[in-house]
Amino acid sequence: MSSDDTTTAGAPSLHPRDEMTPCPWQRGVHVWHVPIFTRAFVFFLALSIIGVGLSVVRAFGGLDFTGMNDAYAWGIWKTFNVMTLTALGSGGFAIGIAAWVFGRHELHAVMRTALMTSLVFYLAGLLALTVDVGRPWNMWHLAFPSHWNTDSSLLEVAVCMPLYAVIFLAFENLPPVFERIFVHASDNLRAVMVRTMPIIKAIFPYMLAGAYVLPAMHQSSLGALLLLAGEKLDPLWQSQMLPLLYVIQAGVAGVACVMFTLMIASLYWQRPIDTRVLGSLGRLMSQCAMAFLIIRFADLAWRGVLGRALALDGLALVFHAENLLVGLPALVMFRRDWRERPRVLFVSAIFAGIGAMLYRFVPTTIAFVPGELKFYFPTFLELLMSAGYVALTVVLYSVAVKMLAIVPGSLDQWYGAVAYARRRFRTIRVDEHGQPSRH
Amino acid sequence: MNVDRRQALQAMLGGTAGGVALLTPAEAAASPIDDRDALGMLYDATRCTGCKACVTACTAANDLVPDTVLSNGRWQMPTDLNAQTKNIIKLYEAPDSPTHSFVKRQCMHCVEPACVTGCPFGALTKRPEDGVVAWHASLCIGCRYCEIACPFEVPKFDWANFNPQVVKCELCRHRFAEGGGPACTEVCPTGAVIAGNRADLLADAKRRIAAHPGQYFEDRVYGEHEAGGTQVLYLSHVSFAALGLPTLSDESLAHYGTKVHHVLYRYLAIPLALWALMAGIIRSRFKHHEKKARVEEASTGLPPQL
Repeated sequence: MSSDDTTTAGAPSLHPRDEMTPCPWQRGVHVWHVPIFTRAFVFFLALSIIGVGLSVVRAFGGLDFTGMNDAYAWGIWKTFNVMTLTALGSGGFAIGIAAWVFGRHELHAVMRTALMTSLVFYLAGLLALTVDVGRPWNMWHLAFPSHWNTDSSLLEVAVCMPLYAVIFLAFENLPPVFERIFVHASDNLRAVMVRTMPIIKAIFPYMLAGAYVLPAMHQSSLGALLLLAGEKLDPLWQSQMLPLLYVIQAGVAGVACVMFTLMIASLYWQRPIDTRVLGSLGRLMSQCAMAFLIIRFADLAWRGVLGRALALDGLALVFHAENLLVGLPALVMFRRDWRERPRVLFVSAIFAGIGAMLYRFVPTTIAFVPGELKFYFPTFLELLMSAGYVALTVVLYSVAVKMLAIVPGSLDQWYGAVAYARRRFRTIRVDEHGQPSRH
Repeated sequence: MNVDRRQALQAMLGGTAGGVALLTPAEAAASPIDDRDALGMLYDATRCTGCKACVTACTAANDLVPDTVLSNGRWQMPTDLNAQTKNIIKLYEAPDSPTHSFVKRQCMHCVEPACVTGCPFGALTKRPEDGVVAWHASLCIGCRYCEIACPFEVPKFDWANFNPQVVKCELCRHRFAEGGGPACTEVCPTGAVIAGNRADLLADAKRRIAAHPGQYFEDRVYGEHEAGGTQVLYLSHVSFAALGLPTLSDESLAHYGTKVHHVLYRYLAIPLALWALMAGIIRSRFKHHEKKARVEEASTGLPPQL
């Protein structure tokens, strides 16, 4: 793609005001004109049904079909679906803080994408966590704070993660849902919603602040889990800085995931790309990655294990791969002119995303070396379930963007979507701008 | 001490709007058990003949099904601690000399156990009266964090069972009421493993080292300081590492893993302060954001999107 056909909207403007705005990404627009059930969607749906179906079957049997053993007691569901994929789902957290706390206003354009990707990854992660638990009938203790062991980082994760996903992330994702309901709603329902809106707006800042504190807590606690692994974890990773580095890498992975999702969605559904916003995301990603590298190397030097990094063994190579995969994109994204090139942005997001995911995956797997020599590799069914949860995120996301105004688009697209909806759905009650109206 | 360590930690106050509960300070938690109350064992590898009477006694006393996989169902022959084996005797043979040693492995009953710290709902507890690290089925969700945390890799998970148990030595605590002690110590013919309180056992071990200079590895007791100290102590004529006992620092993992956590989460003060700070900033930005949206709506006619 050349920069010409990506930075301009392409199609002639449907509305005169469009020409005044330099930024193609002006508002969330439904993915319209595309059916929900496409061939790719059916594939992902089938895979997710298999994954969720096997989870139900798992509820009636033990964990014996997995490859997990007493040395590697945490398998791929915890290490990949929870540890790694909730990092990818931290876009809403990282971009939210950047926009609302640090005032990067341009990022509001991609907030809905960030929040929806976060929600789907967290929901899939929670499902994986539930399936992984060996004695789920005792989970009721979670509801009673007097039963909590507050020393435990796992308790913090178990309390904080569902609380964040089910209450805070769900709340943050309400506005597009409300918009959709409102345009179809009866007058009575509209009256109720009109009365509800002020309440939502009144608690909005406080809920947002909660939605940034909670991920900071549980994403760091995911790192803190590994502190108790002590000497089993290689000294390149075992550090009191693990919790902090885990949060920062959640930021890198989350922003990278949002950049990737936005660009794939724009390519797939022929949306213009707003390199100004993507460049800003790239800069945010770069800043997080730089913070990660500086803290990591300062910590290694402080603990006196920098020499360990020079060893030419497999683990040291993994360590270098982690650093290079986030470090190179971070350097590239430092340059303003490179931040404006879609191809560079896309490749950088993929590299940094993989690097951050690798860092979040390695301490529980490759760098986790128990004394008891055993081998763990997930069984086929275990992998199938894991893939099913990933497919579930794709399914939920693609349904969401076709039902709700999430993917950022230009005013062209907005008017196109409104005009289409007004023709296609006779019950819809909006004017030509998309304003809810009475008919 | 009549308050359970876990209970002491837990007095939770009511939730705030976010459903966040306030935590009690960490100091309330750890008051270590006196060495004279702490029940433990002393295993002296120089006295062990490898008869494995302790292994069968353990299996019988704990109603375990003997692991006979390796012997094709003929006799008990576990290869390691597992869901059917809470106690095992292993043999170490030096590669290039006739030196050999047996080693008995079971739960070490750490003074500050990492498994108890990690266990989310306190299914593993350090009993205040005798320091036994005990497992409670009704509180365990089967997360297996204890297996990740234990530096000795002792807790084993019952993978094949629909109702999986966490299996580990509990010093035969179910026999205490009838005046019994750890079954393994009662059957040992040579006194290689004996039960007692940690203070006496440690003194005994040091007497043996003093009486036989040069006989014991590094003239020291394994478990005196390792991982913050353990209630099961080891004497050996070969290196502890050769026996599969890990080389550990003196700081307990429970302390290493929670010292920052305890500062960050004390009274939840830091998270709440952070929340209040961000809520203040976001509130002013949100007002501005709303105003801008209203102006835009008036000029373009487009519905505002939050």
